[in-house]
Amino acid sequence: MTDPVAGSDPPPFAEVRDFVREEVVRFVRSLRHAGVAVPANAGVTAARALVEVGFDDETRARAALRACLVADPDDAATFDRQFPEFWRRLTAGLSLSGPAPRDSDGPEGALAPLGADPSAEPPGTTPDDGGDGSADDGSDGAADSRTATERALVGSGLDGDDGEEGGEDDDLAAAWYSPVGQASEVTGIEGGRGGLVGSLEEAFSTLTPALHSLRGRRWRGDGDERADVRRALRASFGTGGTVLSVPRTERRLADVRALWFVDVSRSVLETVDRTLLLATLQYARSAWRDCRIVLFDEDAREVTDAFGEPTPSAALAALERAETEWGGGTRIGGSLASFHRTTPDAVDRRTVVFVVSDGLEMGDVGELEAELAWLSARARGVVWLNPLAAAPAYEPTAAGMASALPFLDGLFAFAAPADLAEVGRQLARNGLGGRIGYEYDPRRDRASA
Amino acid sequence: MTEGRPTAFADLTEAELRDALDREEYVADDDVVTTVLLALRLGKPLLVEGEPGAGKTELAKVLADGFGTELVRLQCYEGLTAENALYEWNYTKQLLAVQSGTDDGSVFTEEYLLERPLLRALRGGGERPPVLLVDEVDRADEAFEALLLEVLSDHQVSIPEYGTVAAETPPVVVLTSNRTRALSDALKRRCLYLHVSPPSFEKEREILARKVPELDGAIAAELCAMAERVREEPLRKPPGAAETIDWARAVATLRREGEPASLSPAEVRETIGCLLKEVEDVRRVDDDLLEALVEAAESARAEVTS
Repeated sequence: MTDPVAGSDPPPFAEVRDFVREEVVRFVRSLRHAGVAVPANAGVTAARALVEVGFDDETRARAALRACLVADPDDAATFDRQFPEFWRRLTAGLSLSGPAPRDSDGPEGALAPLGADPSAEPPGTTPDDGGDGSADDGSDGAADSRTATERALVGSGLDGDDGEEGGEDDDLAAAWYSPVGQASEVTGIEGGRGGLVGSLEEAFSTLTPALHSLRGRRWRGDGDERADVRRALRASFGTGGTVLSVPRTERRLADVRALWFVDVSRSVLETVDRTLLLATLQYARSAWRDCRIVLFDEDAREVTDAFGEPTPSAALAALERAETEWGGGTRIGGSLASFHRTTPDAVDRRTVVFVVSDGLEMGDVGELEAELAWLSARARGVVWLNPLAAAPAYEPTAAGMASALPFLDGLFAFAAPADLAEVGRQLARNGLGGRIGYEYDPRRDRASA
Repeated sequence: MTEGRPTAFADLTEAELRDALDREEYVADDDVVTTVLLALRLGKPLLVEGEPGAGKTELAKVLADGFGTELVRLQCYEGLTAENALYEWNYTKQLLAVQSGTDDGSVFTEEYLLERPLLRALRGGGERPPVLLVDEVDRADEAFEALLLEVLSDHQVSIPEYGTVAAETPPVVVLTSNRTRALSDALKRRCLYLHVSPPSFEKEREILARKVPELDGAIAAELCAMAERVREEPLRKPPGAAETIDWARAVATLRREGEPASLSPAEVRETIGCLLKEVEDVRRVDDDLLEALVEAAESARAEVTS
């Protein structure tokens, strides 16, 4: 218990009402300035709460204001950091000696210290004109000056060109990787550009309905054609109890929620077919209702907007930027933790999370386990797409992949559109939690034989 | 909005609230008491979030029991509709009345109205209104959340064929959420917010002392220490206080007279399923972790018996 007025009686509340109101407003503004999502009417509630609990107990006042101003546990730390300064000012102002001076008062009158660097630019505001421009310009000529990613995308239909110059489709039909020491060829994109688009459409025509079939209690095995008895009965009242038509339950096919968490470390970019990767992400972004895309390497960055552009140059630039900025080892757990920390609500129980990675964790495996435990508990399902798993001899023995495995609903290959179709086929047949994964892929058995 | 509407608990004191919680053997930290007190005095819905098993639902139950009022529970799930939550017309009865010609001109009267939890809570107001528990609101669709906003804001519901039903005294509303999806700002704005953290070692010991009094105090300390240690592991489902209580009850039931004072590793392994509810989590308890758990237990026993 503290004595805020240091032995003197506080002035009657009516006399300090304006002061308290002002301090509460300043506190709310300060919290918002520090990134806390304070509800719109929270200041009023907070003032009422403060009157209810009184001004003589800091602990009680802290609990009361936290209940009113904080609606997310992640914001609690910021609140706790700023509350002492608010309390110091408030209690000093209630004494006869008047308000205490502020340590420093910013131009907007925010509390000090703010706990945040006002000069810091919000993430994602770095200029990227050059990136877009170079990607688009590069297709007009000077092919040698292009980056590896751009060269890989030439003629694929994903480089922002109309594809007329073509001629390099055959080069894109294969990717090389060496999961077990010896390089082997992945053939999946038959027919070049046209084949890729067609194959992806085909793959998503299997995958999308399969993801729908994962819906919970409301949508059981009866499918979309169940009669809606309640609506039929209601409608019948207007016709004297005669049922003229039987309405059917409905759901929209595009209502898929997904989060793609894509590893763009060097080890992955050198094994995965980048054309396929970008095309898959773009297709998913356009075909599904809610699809977020996060690239990661040693940190995570959301690039959903880049994949929402009508032309693929923004997506290409995003991949380029990620490769340039990081391009080193992989901290899967650290990146997940970073994303978890900054965007805790990105995943809910309707979201299917696709992780595209080779599982070669260079960071703390324990952190990876912790984050995947959170993810698996929170998401509807976690599907891991590993380009290495396309090899018949592949086994998830790498430390990161082995640690991640218990938290996954399925580990699949990712080297061709057919792999996505296989994910859809297995999900449709066995659902999440069933016997699904690369080990149940019949193509693997055939390849081994 | 109903700001300023008198609430049944406007004059409730902190001591009275603590008494009510104590009577129901609910161990609450000071900040929980303050927040609940505010919610009751101000008549604001209380949104409680935290890990499963942290005592969110229990809080609503003890409030109802502690103040001797009715608990109206609405368990949310995907696809929950207004009909399931608010009211329904008894279609069969209406149809029979119409066909038999026994109705008095309308089949939309009280006689044909079926109360669902929200309407029940609104009409159940007396001197002490009921406690409305909207459990796991994050499991319901956004559409239902929007429906809930009206009830939370105005404490009334309009039934087109019948009229408006308003609560004489607003019910005490407790919403719980496991944060499986983000709730709307509109909902948060209407609520006071309380995040229930996993209990500390001392708090968990006190919970066990109240909930499982037949268990030896030193054994209870061992169980709490092991639960605390287990929560440090990256588990699919970290145990809450509810799981620790289950575990303590199981151990108290299985232990016989004359058994060694301390829990043996074999006993821990046999009963750990009460604490961990995912097969991957149970498998995680290998020899190394078991050894770490036993060490934590021994330290706790030494501390409480010294």
